[in-house]
Amino acid sequence: MLLALAVPVLAAKCLSCHSAEAKTGGLDLSTREAMLRGGKSGPAIAAGDPSASLLMKQVTSGKMPPGKPLETAEVDALREWIAKGAEWGPEAKLTSARPRAGLDWWALRSPEKPAVPVIEGASNPIDAFLLAKLREKGLDYSPEASPAALLRRLHFAVTGLPPKPEEFTEPYQAAVTRLLRSPHYGESWARYWLDIVRFGESDGGEHNNERMTAWKYRDYVIDAFQSGKPYDRFVREQIAGDLIAPGDPKLTAATGFLVCGPWDSVSKFTNRDETFRKMLRQDELDDMVTTTTATFLGLTVGCARCHDHKFDPIPQKDYYRLTAAFRGITFGERDVTSGQKRTDRETLLAPLRKEQSRARKELGEIEDAPRARLLTAKLKAAEMPRGPGVKHVQLNPVFNRNKFAPVRASRFRMAITDQTGKSAPRIDRLELLPAGHVVSNWQGTKPGTDDAPQYLEMELTMGAEVSEIVFSSDRERGAKEGSVRVYRLEYPDAGGAWRTAASMLDHEVPAEVALPEVSEDEVDAAIPESARGRRRELTAAIKDLQARMDSVPALDTVHAAKLEPEMTPAFVLDRGSVTQPKDEVTPGALSAIRQLTADLPNGSDAERRLALAAWLADPRNPLTARVLVNRVWHRYFGSGLVNTPSDLGFNGDRPSHPELLDWLAASFVENGWSLEWLHRQILGSRAFRQDSRMNAKAFAIDASNRLLWRMSPRRMDAETLRDSILAVSGSLNLERGGPSFLLQKKETRGSYLYRTLDNDGPAVWRRAVYKFVARGGERVFLDSFDCPDPSVATPQRAVSNTPVQALTLLNNSFVMRQAELLAKRVREEAGESRRAQVERAHRLVLGRDPGDRERELAAKFLEAQSLALYCRALLNTNEFVYVP
Amino acid sequence: MYPDRSVSRREWLWRTGGGLGGIALAAMEAQGKTHFPAKAKRALCIFMPGGVSHMDTFEYKPELARHHGKETKGANTITPFFGKRGALMKSPWTFRPHGQSGKWVSEILPHLAGCVDDMTFVHSMTARSNTHGPALFQMSTGSIFQGFPSIGSWISYGLGSENENLPAFVSLPDSRGMPPGGPVHWGNGFLPAAHQGVIFSGEKEPVADLAPPAGVSGGAQEATLRLLGELNRGHLRMTGGEDALDARIKAYELAARMQLSAPEATSISGESDKTREEYGFGDAEMRPYAFNCLLARRLLERGVRCVHLYNGAHFGAPRVNWDAHENIEINHGKLARVFDQPTAALLRDMKRRGMLDDTVVMCTTEFGRLPITQGLGEGGRDHNPEGFTSWLAGAGLKRGFSFGATDELGYKAAVDPVTIYDFHATILHLMGLDHTRLSYYHNGLQRRLTDVHGHVIQELLA
Repeated sequence: MLLALAVPVLAAKCLSCHSAEAKTGGLDLSTREAMLRGGKSGPAIAAGDPSASLLMKQVTSGKMPPGKPLETAEVDALREWIAKGAEWGPEAKLTSARPRAGLDWWALRSPEKPAVPVIEGASNPIDAFLLAKLREKGLDYSPEASPAALLRRLHFAVTGLPPKPEEFTEPYQAAVTRLLRSPHYGESWARYWLDIVRFGESDGGEHNNERMTAWKYRDYVIDAFQSGKPYDRFVREQIAGDLIAPGDPKLTAATGFLVCGPWDSVSKFTNRDETFRKMLRQDELDDMVTTTTATFLGLTVGCARCHDHKFDPIPQKDYYRLTAAFRGITFGERDVTSGQKRTDRETLLAPLRKEQSRARKELGEIEDAPRARLLTAKLKAAEMPRGPGVKHVQLNPVFNRNKFAPVRASRFRMAITDQTGKSAPRIDRLELLPAGHVVSNWQGTKPGTDDAPQYLEMELTMGAEVSEIVFSSDRERGAKEGSVRVYRLEYPDAGGAWRTAASMLDHEVPAEVALPEVSEDEVDAAIPESARGRRRELTAAIKDLQARMDSVPALDTVHAAKLEPEMTPAFVLDRGSVTQPKDEVTPGALSAIRQLTADLPNGSDAERRLALAAWLADPRNPLTARVLVNRVWHRYFGSGLVNTPSDLGFNGDRPSHPELLDWLAASFVENGWSLEWLHRQILGSRAFRQDSRMNAKAFAIDASNRLLWRMSPRRMDAETLRDSILAVSGSLNLERGGPSFLLQKKETRGSYLYRTLDNDGPAVWRRAVYKFVARGGERVFLDSFDCPDPSVATPQRAVSNTPVQALTLLNNSFVMRQAELLAKRVREEAGESRRAQVERAHRLVLGRDPGDRERELAAKFLEAQSLALYCRALLNTNEFVYVP
Repeated sequence: MYPDRSVSRREWLWRTGGGLGGIALAAMEAQGKTHFPAKAKRALCIFMPGGVSHMDTFEYKPELARHHGKETKGANTITPFFGKRGALMKSPWTFRPHGQSGKWVSEILPHLAGCVDDMTFVHSMTARSNTHGPALFQMSTGSIFQGFPSIGSWISYGLGSENENLPAFVSLPDSRGMPPGGPVHWGNGFLPAAHQGVIFSGEKEPVADLAPPAGVSGGAQEATLRLLGELNRGHLRMTGGEDALDARIKAYELAARMQLSAPEATSISGESDKTREEYGFGDAEMRPYAFNCLLARRLLERGVRCVHLYNGAHFGAPRVNWDAHENIEINHGKLARVFDQPTAALLRDMKRRGMLDDTVVMCTTEFGRLPITQGLGEGGRDHNPEGFTSWLAGAGLKRGFSFGATDELGYKAAVDPVTIYDFHATILHLMGLDHTRLSYYHNGLQRRLTDVHGHVIQELLA
């Protein structure tokens, strides 16, 4: 142990000058012998006597290492090691003086398929590799787990749900085959994948807007696992699915991978500072590069944003070459409506629209002028409240912003009733937020007036929420006239009548303040009596036409990689700063992967991304298969062969079984990147089927169970626990796919807040993979069980154990309600006999009959307490919460 | 708090520090030891979301008054965040010197003006973003990106709890609403959930899930816990003794104790009328924040390691935080009235009880505001990440001391600029933690509160 502390200090801080090769000052610190021999100034150490050791004098005086004195803890480590006799282990010579990985790093070498050791008792290659190591240490596998424990483990591992009582009789191999084809397999493994890729359904940040179509990526992932999609194809589709199959909206949804992370809509739409806007774009690209490389390659490429990677062979230039590969895309909603649907839709809509527009025109001739006069009079007369956040503003040509109570509609129009000068009004940019609808360079046909406003019409691709308008008439200040002075933003209500969402009078008006409205009766009174009948007819017709238009299926959109109108060149940015661009770079992948050329075509977005996708999924790429098999292994055993699943670089863990990892990676590719093959290998191994019981002897040798002398028992993760409670109570709603259900209520007042919603019923009793995943939201119940906020990738979840967690599982209303439902189910299935009830409850929750002692405890408890409380206790037991 | 024992030692070392620092830290976690002797045992972190104007509160800018009404030109032009560029605007409030230290304070904060001799001001703060989202995340977590562990989580991770019956880290959000971004500001990020801030919200039911669900009596709850203990111990015997399972049994025992001790901590029935009056309980607008201030003191007193206390909530209209785009006088006037008296009462109360001798108090916002108005002829101020004020009080600090300054107009940090990393490093230092050694392995890096930056501001230390 003392040596273990001293070695890193020597290797990292001393050996670059004092190795057997470098020998500065004649001193070599790579072996104990050489240290005792010393250099020109004499022996480096005196074993057992730090004060007489030259090495200690040099490091305590701060002379060595030159200019970079050791930290106190490091000096202490050396002193203690020398004091205790400078023991040296079997590693006779220190070799690596460079504390970083080079191009010969293990994970960058092609996995060679090693020979499988011939081991007695090994039923498949996994066992052969594992048993070989165990036996070296005098250890062996634990006996096979009991059939009940094994089935329970299998069900959780494959589907994330507990077995039903009647499923315990199924033979193991039959269960493996059935479960890998069960729809719950895809749901369970997709949830794991969504952690790795930081999948969330809101932007995060200040506005934290919801992403109503992000769930389509989630469904894509579930379907990919479920359908047995080869992994190389899965990789390619997430980078370039929209290009591989342009007509297939599902594959466009696959690129949701690139943009399912957090995103700063405020900097994108609102920030006026050009530098900060550039920073945002760079952050977007960084998110894509970092997530792509961490997910598929297990490398921390993001470290090279500011400088060459300090530990892995990733030059800064490579980082910026990768950003170039993604410069054609950004975050947003992508229209994936098929050509046919678009045509059909247009065929249906066009005549309706035309007819409605004709009716509107006629109605307008009757009522627009009187209505506008009435409204203007009211607006002018309105006593707008004064107070914080309220003021009357003068519009200006350069920038105007107006927030208002949210309105959901698919059509808006800006009614402009006054502008500067005598020319028609103009808008050089307008944004409706948070919908993100943008208008550029619009000009009216003539000046707008109170009686005849000029209308800027806007159609949003789907009904969207708007609570803010930002616009400018003339940012360049080139035009002398036409800047908007007075306007209203309007939207049609269900009846087709235009309602005012905002006007120039209410910039920053509190949401509670009602805008003046003109009533229908007032309009009626203001028009000639002869026109009133026709007006009613037209209003009814418009309403009817609107209803028919609304019933036409909406355009299909998805939150996925959105194409940028133009691709800007990429530069290396000095220290990552957008204000300090250096050399321009062409698109490229990582130069450290010597098996493949790193150059990507310097062409269109399609050429770039397709090439990158092919590079990632190339069988010669040494990392892609290794990373995936390690992730799958990690999920089955609770720790990976490399225990840092998204980092196979220098700062990551070293593989516990390098040959096994390589054998699995190489065989996985040979077997067509088939996940089912991989699952079967692992599930068929004796390693997976071992008992999880503690073994003191083995624990003393390998406390962390890296060698797998048993199966480590594991606490369910947050979502599995919720799903399992629902499953045993009989309430789990197995509906698959589609929009997410909400465990939070969305409050919007300019920005979204996601507050706890204690809602109940089948709609929220679906599997947790289908729950709406807001960033920065409260997730009561799930939070305390280590369910992460999806703002950062979570390749492995923390497993903590806290009193707050205990309080949650004990007292949360969700658990209590489910305990009551469980008690009801038990009563229905077991009848009134208490003994039978206890038996049934144990079978449902724990998958086994109660023991004698447990029957006694139950009988005693139930004398005074309800069956629901007994069920609640069972749901809180270690046995339920831990998978054996 | 209770690291899962199934975590391998190797992984533990990797996670906690990899090198020697990590080994030292692993040992420290087990023993609750600091890196070096601490000045402060606990921390109170007061956050004021929205962006507090420094030149209208604690940083007196007489020169700004002289240039009142002038527009900024040429190289000195000030670019606002999104509003129109306006003219320079003096503070609408009068400043006067206070205390032994003669600190000039705006009349907007009359009560805190009486505490200046116990406060330590940093007038040269800078933030990395001019947008609320990233700047707020940096304020709470050091990172401009969402999802990193908050400062309270790092402190909990570094030092653990002093009182096993209460959480190590508690967050007290503003009763007017969550801070923008919500619970991420006290989130544990990639640290284990044990280091998550636990919300205590308001007077009525401060802790979620603390009490048994409706209809479950105290006796039934006790019987349930007894039954559960029996079942779990039986199971533990069957598994051959598993540390993690044993730890979970203990967690329920602690939970039972927390059910008893938390209500005591949150009940203010024992506080005198005089105390309540001093905190501002008599004023309906002030009361929720006053309660949180008093609760903060009670929790810290009982060994909670870190409390996040918020004054200011989410965005939107009407304004419930310090984001004074429209009118500084109305916005800051209203918010300061609620903030001033309870905060000052809290500082005085802690001082009387000797708590300022072993507690560090920090108060910050995500950025300052511009010396110009937002739009000509207007009364609001836009965002300013180039210079703002934070303050500290308590253990190990020079009292009645001001450090750094913005330029004469209050635009940019001009004397001794300080980053949020430096500010965070200083807080950790006061708590006996070396910010370069308090680290946790995540996604390829030994992550720190201060990323790869930060220097302890030595000049602030007593």
